[in-house]
Order: sequence, then structure tokens, then C-alpha cells
Amino acid sequence: MSTQPLLVDIRNLTIRFGAVEAVRSVTMQVGAGRIMGLVGESGSGKSTLANAIIGLLPPAAEITQGSMTFEGRDLLSFSNRDWQRFRGQGVSYVSQDPMSALNPALRIGEQMLDIQHWNDGGRPEKMQVALNALKQVKMPQAKARLGMYPHELSGGQKQRVCIAMAIMARPKLLIADEATTALDATLEVEIVKLLKELQRDIGCAMLFVTHHLTVVEELCEDVTVMYHGDIRESGTVQDVFSTPSEAYTRNLLSCDPSRIEEKCRRLPIMSDLGLKSIADPERDAARIDQTAKPLLSIRNLDVTFRKPRSITDLISGTPERRVEAVKSASIDISPGETVALIGESGSGKSTLARAVFRLVPAGRGEIEFDGTDLLSISQREMRPFRNEMAMMLQDPIGSLSPRMPVGTSVIEPLIISGQSKGKDLRSEAIKLLELVGLDEGFVNRYPHEMSGGQARRVGVARALALRPKLVIADEPTAGLDVSIQGEIFNLLAELRETMSLSILIITHNLHVVRHLADRMVIMYHGEIVETGPTEDVVSAPQHSYTKVLLAANLHAKFGTG
Amino acid sequence: MIAYAIQRILIAMLIVLLAVTTLFVMIQFVPGDPANVMLGPRATPELKEALRERLHLNDPFIVQVYHFFIGVMRGDLGVDLTSNRPVLNILIEQVPYTASLVLAVLLIALLGIPIGTYAAVHRDGLFDQVSGVVSVSLIAIPPIVIGLYLILIFSVQLQWLPAIGAGEGPWEIILHLILPTLAIGLTWIGYVSRLVRASVIEVLGQNHVKTARAFGIPNRRVMRAYVLRVALPATVTVLGVSIGFILSSAVIVEILFARPGIGKLMYDAVISRNYPVVMGTVLASTLFIVTATTIADLLNVMLDPRSREAG
Repeated sequence: MSTQPLLVDIRNLTIRFGAVEAVRSVTMQVGAGRIMGLVGESGSGKSTLANAIIGLLPPAAEITQGSMTFEGRDLLSFSNRDWQRFRGQGVSYVSQDPMSALNPALRIGEQMLDIQHWNDGGRPEKMQVALNALKQVKMPQAKARLGMYPHELSGGQKQRVCIAMAIMARPKLLIADEATTALDATLEVEIVKLLKELQRDIGCAMLFVTHHLTVVEELCEDVTVMYHGDIRESGTVQDVFSTPSEAYTRNLLSCDPSRIEEKCRRLPIMSDLGLKSIADPERDAARIDQTAKPLLSIRNLDVTFRKPRSITDLISGTPERRVEAVKSASIDISPGETVALIGESGSGKSTLARAVFRLVPAGRGEIEFDGTDLLSISQREMRPFRNEMAMMLQDPIGSLSPRMPVGTSVIEPLIISGQSKGKDLRSEAIKLLELVGLDEGFVNRYPHEMSGGQARRVGVARALALRPKLVIADEPTAGLDVSIQGEIFNLLAELRETMSLSILIITHNLHVVRHLADRMVIMYHGEIVETGPTEDVVSAPQHSYTKVLLAANLHAKFGTG
Repeated sequence: MIAYAIQRILIAMLIVLLAVTTLFVMIQFVPGDPANVMLGPRATPELKEALRERLHLNDPFIVQVYHFFIGVMRGDLGVDLTSNRPVLNILIEQVPYTASLVLAVLLIALLGIPIGTYAAVHRDGLFDQVSGVVSVSLIAIPPIVIGLYLILIFSVQLQWLPAIGAGEGPWEIILHLILPTLAIGLTWIGYVSRLVRASVIEVLGQNHVKTARAFGIPNRRVMRAYVLRVALPATVTVLGVSIGFILSSAVIVEILFARPGIGKLMYDAVISRNYPVVMGTVLASTLFIVTATTIADLLNVMLDPRSREAG
């Protein structure tokens, strides 16, 4: 693999959670100063393995077999005290979610002092070390940040603080567990570049745990692919990505939508091998009824949120604060058309969708659905329209009742809307689940007994229960692995043909919807900055923000793949 | 922070004003005429009328409220109808008894913090299960029942501790405080330990605790600054609000232990329609509760930087 000395040497390591083997006889080596990507879908055991190296396995986990050494020291024989000294200096850790990784009750500076338990110097010296580390991760106004609390920083800044903390002791190994997953695409590029620079400056080895293949390709030298607790393949990134020897790796690579250049009607998924792109403009054209009146027509819609005034505001006469979430937005969706609404978090895209359902008070403008202006009718008159449009929520497991079997959740819309009379609810539930590719057995399952992808399918089934004309899907694949992401999009693509659905997909990730959307609408700071057919937007973006979004696709940015 | 404190204090004053006005209204509906109570059944109507005039009882109630607050500003809370002593003096005598009882209850309620923390860290262990059962039982038993049994066991049977009065001299005062404090406080130890346990378990699972451990911060520091620091503000708020409940338990417990204090004073005053004393005790307890909740709020803000921007 490399000529450098070995830093981490794991042999035949097995980690069990009760009866479940999360990591099965795994052998992996990380060379000193190398960057290793650890790739796999969620549940593949990659995070468990990373946690084992830093000695933070949950109490339920048990190492039943194998060895694990770090520079020749046996990690499995470490006492609590050994671990405590080892962490921070030998190995350090950047966690998945920068939002929650910092103590909300302590200033950044205090937290950066706390972790310098290896530094014998006084407070001013430790502060200087912290300041230097913040400068090293290119934190703007580093000095002032030391006195701030985590909630005063943005997500990207928090992740910089976490990285600064991780490099402060110049560790020999840096473990980054999905360190860029929770970030917006533009930020992800920045953080990946930063990590690469820092790794070069410090000369540490890095273990980058991710399910995002493009990041691995850009950042890492070596890669290890995990699947269901086994290591399927490992080698240099170049070898593995250009000539993957394992079928699983090949599939994983071909499932990544950002690696597919041509627009295709169906995304490849794990279960179909060697699938070719089958773009079919004619069928797309037939599906969309361009001549008909738009199903949904939003004209110059404004949504403004008011911040309630406090008592002191009333006394001091501070005017009411307003936030313009959506500014003069116009969108048309034809029957059968799929439109993607793309923007960063906070750009107002979810608010726009909620306004269509009259879940937030819309200000000025028009929302015309099937010939009726939704803004001019009462909430009571709104009810039948709510049955004709369906919302697919972002967090599928969270939006299903944990105490209700899936079969009941799915038909709930029928019961609420009063359309359940005289119907066999059980067969209705089975029909709906079959529609989304789940068999009869799922009727009695509970949400926690399903995988993320299955829960999304249930979410789709529930959205379709009332046979809506329009489905609004809010981040339908956020947090899903590439292959499940493909499954969900394929499902939506099939359903829009069989049920002639119009779909509005809301997402922050431009390239995942490239293959599904007929048209794209780009939103930025509450305004619609660009709209057009998908091919045009992708090939010739007009607005500078669209260009930034496209560039944030790592492939385009670094010209690899 | 200062702006927030000023805002809180303004709101606190508003609450006191509202509470006292409300009580003034309600007292109008209580049957019985103080003039009757004071002068007895055989008083002449002229005498009653003269007394009503002197007590401003014939004025519209808004005017009465006005007179009352003007008096409060001057430090004049009126005169006790039975003993003819200024109410303020009586209050100054009685408040320390109740205040010391409430403070003692709060202090022993703090025992719930280590109990809850230990139970959370050793979750589902023997200590956790036993303390859970005991806590819930203590929460479920009313203070008056606990108080009765404490008297039975420690005063009547064992004769270790005094049951009646408040005592004189520091040692006696402390001895006399123990049983009333336990009567109210055992419930609160149980309550606080359950609360602390729940929030410590929640914080222990949070990502920032894992991060702190991943950097090798010593366990004691992790527990103190990364777990309790985040978990405790919720408890502090609850304790602040609980002062109201503790005070109302104190009324009952003071009567049970024949202990002087605001509670006993209020009880006697209501029975005898001694309006100036009723108003005085209500004002004192309202001030007490509002001050405590305001302090708890400010403490909460000091402990949790995120809430500093609220307001």
C-alpha cells in the first residue's frame, strides 16, 4: 500500500452489539501521514470502527476478537487513564455534526483551553495556542471568536473551531467522522480544501469516514470500502476508483448521481448492474401537458414573518421586526411536470412550499391551484384542496408515529379526510404499500423496524393515499446513501408516469435532482434568481449563484471523475 | 444582560401590583364584615360606621388599592385590627421564620442534584432504581402526612427533636427547623433528583460530551463543565418556580408545627377578617415569590448563554 511506517494496524477485529456483529473480522492499516477514506453506507460499521480507534465505543459494544495497535502500542490494553492521554495528542476527532459538537454553555476559548490538558503552560500560553489554531483554520477575527459562545457562530465557523481543536495538539491521526456531511455544498468544498491543507502542514494521518464518494476521490490517497461490517476492498484511491475489483464498489461508484454526466430517466441503484443511461426526451415531453393551464401557478408571492414584540420593545417603542422569507416569487407547474426548487438552507424554499398549503400566512401575491386562488378562500374552503396536494416531509421516521404500525399511518390521511367510509382499510393500506414497492408484511411493522429507505417509501405511500394531483417533497433524500437516494428518485419517476403526478422537489443539492427534474427554480435569499429547463440551467447557468451551486459539485470543481 | 435584568425587574413589579389588586377584589367577596368581627354583635350601627370610615371600607375599591399602595410606598401597611400594632412591625417579626424555613427547604432540595447525577451516570443500576422508587414515593406523599409521621417518630417515640414552636438561640432554632424542613423538603429532594437525572441523561448523550471525551478532557471536568453546566439551568428554573409551592406548603406546616411565620399569621388573619394583616402577608409572600423567580431567571441566563439573547 505504501512505504511509510504503519500508524494504525487493525487485524481481524470483531465488534459485537449483543448478537449483532457490527464489524466482522476487519483488517485495516493506516500509514503515517496518509489520508485514508473509509467508505460505506450507513450501518456498514464504518463509524463503529472509527469509534473503536479512539476508544469511544458505546457501553453495549464489545470487542470479541482481533488486535488494534497504534505505533506498536496495543490499544486494546489501554486503561482509562491511557486513553485520556492518548486522545487529543495521539488521535483526535472531528464529529459529524458541528452544530452540536461544542458545549453550548462555555466560550470557545474556554473549551479550547480545556482540551489542552497536555499543555503544562499557563493560561496565556494556552490561549495563544488556541488563537494560533484558529488562525490556522482561517477563522476570520480569530481573537474575538475566543470570547464567543457556540451559538454565536455559523455552522461553517463551528466546524472550523472543531477542526482547530482537533489539530491543536498536532495529533498523529485525525479522524473525521462524516465531517462535511451536514454542511451546505459550498461549505463542504471549503472544509475539504482546508482539511487537505492542514493535513499537509501538520503531516498527520487522516481517517476520513464518509458515504460521499466524491469527497473521498478529491481528498484521500487510500480508500477502504465497508459493507455490512466487512471490508470489501481497499487500496489507493486511484486504483479502486478506476478499476474497482469488487462488484459492490463498482455499484457504489455507479450509483453516485454526481458521477453520471448525462441526464437519465432512471438512476442506477444497487440491485441493477451495468445499467445504462436511458434519457428519453420524447417520453418526457409526452408526460408533460404543456398546453394545459398550469396546475399550480404562484404569482409574485411575498411571505413575511413578524417577530413578536417583547414588553421592553413596547415600552421603548422599538418597531416590529420583519423577516422577508419569500420575496415576489413566481412559479408555474404544469400537470405531470417535475420542478426542482433549489436553494441553501434559509433561502425560503420550505416557506414557499408551506405557503402553498396555507400553513404560513402568505402576504401579497396569488397562488392558483387548478383554477382556484388559494389565498382568497377561507381555511375551511381550503380543506378539499389539501387533499389534492400532498406533502412529503423531510424526516420520514420522525414524521411517522412511533407507536402506530405503518399500515395505519399510511391510511391516516383517508381517515382524516373522511374518505375511509365503505373502504376496506387493510387492503387499501396494502395497495398503497405495494405502489411504493413494499410488500404486505410491512402493514404491521413499526417505524423503528424499518431502514431509512423503507421509511421514505412509507412517506411516499402516505403522500399518495388521497391520490393527489401535486406532491411537494421537502428534501426527499436528505441523509440517504447514494443507492437508496437513487431508489427513491426512481420511485418518484415511476409514480409520476403511472399516476400523472406533478412534483415539486425542494432540495439544496442541485446535482441529485438533475436527473429527475424537468425544470429547475433556483432560490437565493428569498428571491427566485433563475428558472429554466434543467438542461439549460446545468449547461448554461445565468445567475452567479447558480454557478456557485454547480461549482459546489466537487466533480465539476476539481475536474476529476 | 443588564437590559434583560431591568426588563425582568420591571415585569416583577408589574406582577406584584397585579397580584395585590386581584386580592383586593377577591377579598370583597369574602363574607363577613371586619367591623362586626372587631366590635362584636352588640355594637351600635354608628360605631360600626365610624370604624368603616376609619378603615376606608366605604371607599370604592380602586381608591382602597390606591390608599394601600401609597401606604406601602411610605412603609405604612396599616394597623393590625386586633392588637393595634403596625402590620409592618408584625411582618418584620414573622418573615424571618418563614424565610428560614423556605431557604432550608431549598438547601436540602439541592441534595437532589448529586443524587440525580449519580443515578444518571449509573443508569439502571441499583442506586438508580432504589432512588427512583423512593423519589416517586416522596413526591406522592403530601407534606402534612410526612410532617405528622415525622412528629410521631422523632418527637413522640424517639423524643429526639422538638415538634412545637421555633425555639430561641441558634442551636434551638436549628433543632426546631429540622422536622418542618424535612416535612416539605423530602418531596423536593425527590422531585429535584428525578429532574436532574432526566436532564443529565439527556446531556450525556449529546454530541459535545462525546467530543469532550474524544479530546481526553478529564472526567471530572467533563461532568462539571460539559454535563452539569448544560443540564442544571432547567433545574434552577424549576426551583425558582417551586418557591411558590414551598411557601404554600409552609402555611400548612407552620400550623402543624405551631410555628410562628407568615403562614400562621395569614391563616389567623383570614379567620378573624383582619384585612390589613391579610394584605400585608399577601404582599410579603408575593414579593418573596416574585423575587425568587426573578433571581432564578437571571441565574438561568447567567448559566445558559443562549438565553441571554432572548428578551
